[in-house]
Order: sequence, then C-alpha cells, then structure tokens
Amino acid sequence: MSAVLEARELTFGYSREQPLLADWSAAFDAGEVVAVTGPSGRGKSTLLYLLGLMLAPHNGEVVLDGRPASALRDGARSRLRGSAYGFVFQDAALDATRTVIDNVTETALYRGQSRHAALVRGRELLEQFGVAVRADAKPGQVSGGQAQRIALCRALLGEPRVLLADEPTGNLDPASARVVVNAFHAHANTGAAVVVVTHDPALVAQCDRTIEL
Amino acid sequence: MSWQIAALVRESLASAWSQRVASVVTIVMIAGMCAAVLLTTGRTVGAEDAVLRSIDSAGTRAIVISADAAAGLDSTVLDRIAHLDGIQWAAAFGSVTDVTNAAFPDGTPVPTRNVWGSELDDLGIGTSVDPGSTAWASEDALGELGLIEPAGGAVSETGGDIAVVGKLNLPDYLSFLEPAVFIPEPASRVGPVSILVVIASRPDLVEPVAAATKSVLAVDDPTAVSMKTSAALAALRAAVEGQLGQFGRTLVLLICGLTGVLVAAILFGLVMLRRRDYGRRRALGATRSLIVTVVLVQTAAPAVVGAAVGSLAGTISIAALGDPAPDLDFIVAIGVFAIAVAVIAALLPALVAARREPIRELRVP
Repeated sequence: MSAVLEARELTFGYSREQPLLADWSAAFDAGEVVAVTGPSGRGKSTLLYLLGLMLAPHNGEVVLDGRPASALRDGARSRLRGSAYGFVFQDAALDATRTVIDNVTETALYRGQSRHAALVRGRELLEQFGVAVRADAKPGQVSGGQAQRIALCRALLGEPRVLLADEPTGNLDPASARVVVNAFHAHANTGAAVVVVTHDPALVAQCDRTIEL
Repeated sequence: MSWQIAALVRESLASAWSQRVASVVTIVMIAGMCAAVLLTTGRTVGAEDAVLRSIDSAGTRAIVISADAAAGLDSTVLDRIAHLDGIQWAAAFGSVTDVTNAAFPDGTPVPTRNVWGSELDDLGIGTSVDPGSTAWASEDALGELGLIEPAGGAVSETGGDIAVVGKLNLPDYLSFLEPAVFIPEPASRVGPVSILVVIASRPDLVEPVAAATKSVLAVDDPTAVSMKTSAALAALRAAVEGQLGQFGRTLVLLICGLTGVLVAAILFGLVMLRRRDYGRRRALGATRSLIVTVVLVQTAAPAVVGAAVGSLAGTISIAALGDPAPDLDFIVAIGVFAIAVAVIAALLPALVAARREPIRELRVP
C-alpha cells in the first residue's frame, strides 16, 4: 500500500529545550486506520495538529501524497486542510449558533464546493449516520452522540484523503462509538488514511495499527 | 468565481444573522451615529444653507454702478463686460421716463427705464416684437398703473405710446428699481445708461469683478460714477460658511471617531467571545483572508441597515422639529461614511479573528 501521509523526522515542542517530538517519523497508508496512543502529555494531540498542518514543525516535514505540505505558506496549508483533510474533534466543535446542516456543510465554502452539492451530500451523510434530527435544528438541541456524528458528517463531506480524529469516542456511548469506528473503516476503504488519537482501549483494538508515543 | 463570492456573502450574512446580538448592537450604534450627526451637524448644515440662501437673496454678489448723465456711460459697456470672467449676469438701465395709464392720463406716474442685456429672460422679459415701445411691468408698477392684468397701454410724459405686454419677475437685487417698468432695447440701439447691475458668479469674486468692471466703463467723467457692492455681506457669507463648516466637520469627526472606537471595542469583545469559532474555522480550512472578509461583510451588512434606519430617523426628526434639513447628498454621504467607519473599526477585530490558532482554541484540557 502507498503512504497517503508521512511524517519525516518531525521535531516540535512548545519550548525549544524540551521538544515533545524529536526526529519522529511515520507513514500512514491508504486504507488503514491508525491509532495513536500514549500517556497524557506525550504530544498525541500536538502530533495530530502537526499532521493536520495546523502547526509547523521546527524540523522535518509532513508529506501528503508525496508532496511536502508543512512548509507551504499559511494560505496554501489552509486550502489543503479544506480540500484534503477531515477533522473530528473530541467535543465535536460545532457552531452552536448555526443549524445542523450549516455545520455539516461549513467546509464547502473553504474548498470552493457549490452549496447545492454540499447540501445534497450533507443530507445523505446525516441520513447515513442516523442523525434523526431536523437539519434546521441547532447543535444545542442534539445529544452528545448525535453531535459527534454531525461532526463526522462534516469531516466526511469533502471525501478527504486524510481523516484525523482527536479522542472521537471520548464522550460517546458504545453504540455511538461503534458508528464512528465503522465510519472510519468505511472511509479508509475508499483509499484514505485515518489517524485517531485515543485513550480508549476498545477503539484501539478496532484499529489496524497502533503507534505508541 | 461569482458563485464563490455569492457563497462568501451568504456565509457572512448567515453569520450576521446567527450573531443577532452583535448585529443588533452594530445596527443601533451606526443608526445612532447617523441620527446624531444629522441632528447636530445636519441641522447646522441645513441652517447654514438657509442663512447662505438668505444672504444670497439679499444680493451678496450684486455690484450696482450709478452714472450721472455727465458720465457719458452708454449700453456698449455690456459688450466690454462680456469679456470679463466671473460674471454671472449683467444688465444696463437707462434714465427714468414717467408713464401713465393711457386710459387715465392723470393717473399715477410710474417710472420706466430702457434696459439692455443678453439674459433678460431671467426677469421674465420675452421677445419684443416692437423694441423701444414694448414694456414689462412689475407687480407694484401694474398696481400703480391700474392694470389688473399685465396688458394695456401707457403714455409717456413725452407723449409716446408704450404697450405693457408682460409681468416682470424682479429679483431682490433689483428691488431698488421698484416700481419697475422695463422697455427692452436691442444691443444695436445704443443708448445712455444710468444704472449698471452686475452679478458676480461667486461672493469672493465681488471685489475683483467690481474693479474689473470699473476699468471698462470708459466714461467721460469718472467722478460722475458711483459704485455700490456688497463686499461686506460677501465677507460675512464667507465667514458663516467657513466657521459653520469647520464646526460641522469637527463634530462629524468627533461623533464618527467615538462611534468607531465603540464599534471596534464591541466587535473585539465579540471576536474574543467567539475565538473558538474562528479557531475551528481555521482548522477546517478557512484562510485568514476569508475570515477577515467574513467578519468585515458581517459587520458591513448590519451597518448598512443601521445607516438607513439612522438617516431616516434623523431626517424625520429634523422635519418634525421644523428645522431646515441638509440636502440629500449630505445625508447619503453621512450614511456611506458611517458604513466605512464600521468596516474600518471591524478591521482590527477581523485580523485578530483570522490569527486564532486552532490548537489553542480547540484542545480540550
């Protein structure tokens, strides 16, 4: 299998004297779901933000589909995040002031996708993940499990090459967690790489590979 | 590209709608700013316009030259004046000849004057079919002649017949000629002139135009000529215009500056409250320029509403108070200025929003 995403000798720390990651390398192949685990404070989330081009490494580089990505200018990295990445955050990170369908289709604007196409695909995804709420409902009117599924729909809307998830099942009941994990595998099977930072042993057990920090 | 701009505007408007408190505060601030400017500076501008109109109507720009017969001033002076700059209107008037109503030879005599000028239609004088014996009379003159309608016959003291064919529309600066009966003369028929009236095109040109006119009079005896100008009134006009204009500009800048600071402070507070939202947008792929644009457009949209509401409220209030209103250009300019103030005030908060770091805003402790 070919590597969709690579970390090449990444070095990063919030202080130069104590780097969280030093010359850290890994490859994430198409079709696999990789769990990143380890004790708190080892830099798991930081690694996810580095891989997601939200942080710039002090040394080393992040390579997406064979092309260096982390050294790009901020605007180019932003556009890449919008077009090639999907993100699922621990607490869903939905916009409480906007409707469910607005949240799902938010990234369409960032990658220049037509709103009509995004709305059609967004409604399909909500139905596929069993989010049984009105599309014009607000995130405050849905449960935690539904909120995380809505966040998953948002992440999958652009059919990203890389799906990054930070503790995606941390606040979910087993049934909702199962839906999320199944979605990760289904998306990986489309040829994408999925990287999941988690403390959840049940989730780790269902991943194809585990990286311990 | 156009649909992407439309999508960006739609997103900005949706953001403005979803943040109703911020939008309503912006509307209120900008409406208050426009209304405050209109009710203070706007009223000042309206009053200034009214005062200036009043000064203008009193003949601020009029130059009146009186010449005795010994001066030898004739109607050819108009040809020489036509070559001078800064003159809006000029006419030359002959000496007085009394006329009476042809039906009442013993009636009240009314003074008539021959008149020369290229723009006599400003006085209501039409084309004369019989130059030299066709006259136009003012309301007062018609009354004294005993003519109910501006049509009738008159007889001069020398026995000549004159036909009154129309009513004069006498401006304030010629009111000293009342009761007036004017007999238009063609430029080709040169005659003696006892009064020359010149209107400068601007108040500040009164003095130079008066000097230039005096230099082209070509009279035999300069001591037989006297000149009256409204230079003092013109100076007063300039002072009124300058001082009130300066006061108005200072007040506008003060109110706009204060409103701009308040709008910026409120928007900055709202950006800080929604920093997690901007951090999420950055994480999901929004570029900094896109976030700046969204914040600016979502500020401009309620600002447009506020400017419209404030301008309307201010204008209605001025009308209700019975004060002179500023013209439409001033009202529109204040509205556009208020929107610009809101957008400029939103720039710093927008830049702060665009620099939110996803990892700072989205990490859960």
